[in-house]
Amino acid sequence: MIGQVFVTEFAKLRGSAVPWVTLAAMLCGPAGIALFMWIVLDPARAASLGLLGTKANLAGLEATWPAFAGYLPLVVGGSGLLLLAFIVAHLYGREYADDTSKNMLGLPVARGWFVVGKLAVAAVWWLVLAVAAIGEAFVLGTAMGLPGLTTELGVRLVTATLLTAGASFLVCPIVAWITIWARGYLAALGFAIGMLALGDLVSHTGWAPWFPWAIVLTGMATPGDLAWASVLVLLAAFAAGLAATVLRLVYADNP
Amino acid sequence: MSEAIITAEGLRKHYGRVAAVDGLDLEVRRGEIYGFLGRNGAGKTTTIRILLGLIRPTSGRVSVLGHTLGTGGQAWLRQVGFLVESASAYPNLTVLENLDLQRRLTGAPASAVGEVVERLALGPYADRRAGRLSLGNKQRLSLARALLHQPELLVLDEPANALDPAGIVEVRDLLRELSREHGVTVFMSSHILAEVAHLADRVGIVADGRLVEEAPRDELAARARDFVRDSFTAAEREEALLTDDLERYFLARTGGGR
Repeated sequence: MIGQVFVTEFAKLRGSAVPWVTLAAMLCGPAGIALFMWIVLDPARAASLGLLGTKANLAGLEATWPAFAGYLPLVVGGSGLLLLAFIVAHLYGREYADDTSKNMLGLPVARGWFVVGKLAVAAVWWLVLAVAAIGEAFVLGTAMGLPGLTTELGVRLVTATLLTAGASFLVCPIVAWITIWARGYLAALGFAIGMLALGDLVSHTGWAPWFPWAIVLTGMATPGDLAWASVLVLLAAFAAGLAATVLRLVYADNP
Repeated sequence: MSEAIITAEGLRKHYGRVAAVDGLDLEVRRGEIYGFLGRNGAGKTTTIRILLGLIRPTSGRVSVLGHTLGTGGQAWLRQVGFLVESASAYPNLTVLENLDLQRRLTGAPASAVGEVVERLALGPYADRRAGRLSLGNKQRLSLARALLHQPELLVLDEPANALDPAGIVEVRDLLRELSREHGVTVFMSSHILAEVAHLADRVGIVADGRLVEEAPRDELAARARDFVRDSFTAAEREEALLTDDLERYFLARTGGGR
């Protein structure tokens, strides 16, 4: 039956514009980095096109592959946390928005399988977006002729971005639980925005390795340096979110 | 006496101090059409949601198709088709795609989709997205979803909602056929007496979360006639009959039979 749950959860996306909207949003990240690098490459050209204000200060930005490889995981980690929260809130929250939750929960299928099925859809969806962002980065960086691309750096860019995407995914079951608890999108999106802000705040303190959202924001630019304790914190966040979501669907009232 | 398909004993559901269901006892027998009649807010939908395991009772015991609710998994729902409150479907999917989801998750054969589409006269809308269906056709889709896996028990909350007069007659005939010819047990709620009176073998009247009366349809009709004769004037009764005649005429003129 789990196979049929996976098939139907993917089938629910047919004809939906939401995957395309999230793809467009994800592609804005690498495009934004590339735009700034393109400006840095030739400030005079950018100024003539009205892309550079007179007070703009891009002194800290280098138009190189090492810089791109440093920024991309941060963009996927930061904006990605919000985008993934939106995806998860959509997958779980639509059942309440479309009033189909009662149909789903009244099926002869263990409710936990729906939680797992929707997470599987979110995982594949998120992986496709991350791969698209990496692909776009390589296309734009190559088109701009950025210097400094080596095989080792290319591998690091891909690894760091995928690890950041994976770390973002580990905190998303908590968003699923909030969505089911509140029976809609809004609370979950508010929670995600709040955690992103808190994560940013905590990332400037000594608690960063212990707070899941701060780990995603700070730890992934150099994935080799990630402490095992932080990995365990992320895995614990995933397990807690998954368990809370399943227990909520199975034992709470679903009016 | 036929085997009980649904039994509820001392069923209670409280939301804080509000009792939505308050000591309800219920028995629905195999093959019968049971009309669960009550005004808005009487506790009909809460009872139905409890019967389907969507909400947990505060106290009491419920058994559906021999399965005691609150124990075991969800496999017993394979024999139950239902429609709760309002019609709903995935708006981005077509009628066929919506039904295919249901088919896969209930283990029904592929041919079942075509059969219910024909039965519920959804053929012309089969490739239309559910979000673009009229309310009436959305209701038909929800009924098709409930019937798709040929359940033993149908639990229907206001099944005539949003249907036009001809549609109401069609659904009425369909439910009667399922009960008489296929032995399907139907538990249907309504706040419309006429809807229940047309179909039900037995009727339970619920008020303030309690079953206040339960009787076979004909017995209840006799009680109602006595009540009307004793409580209303001849002119008031004539007015009521006129309304009834007008409804029949309207149904006949819009394709609903004689």
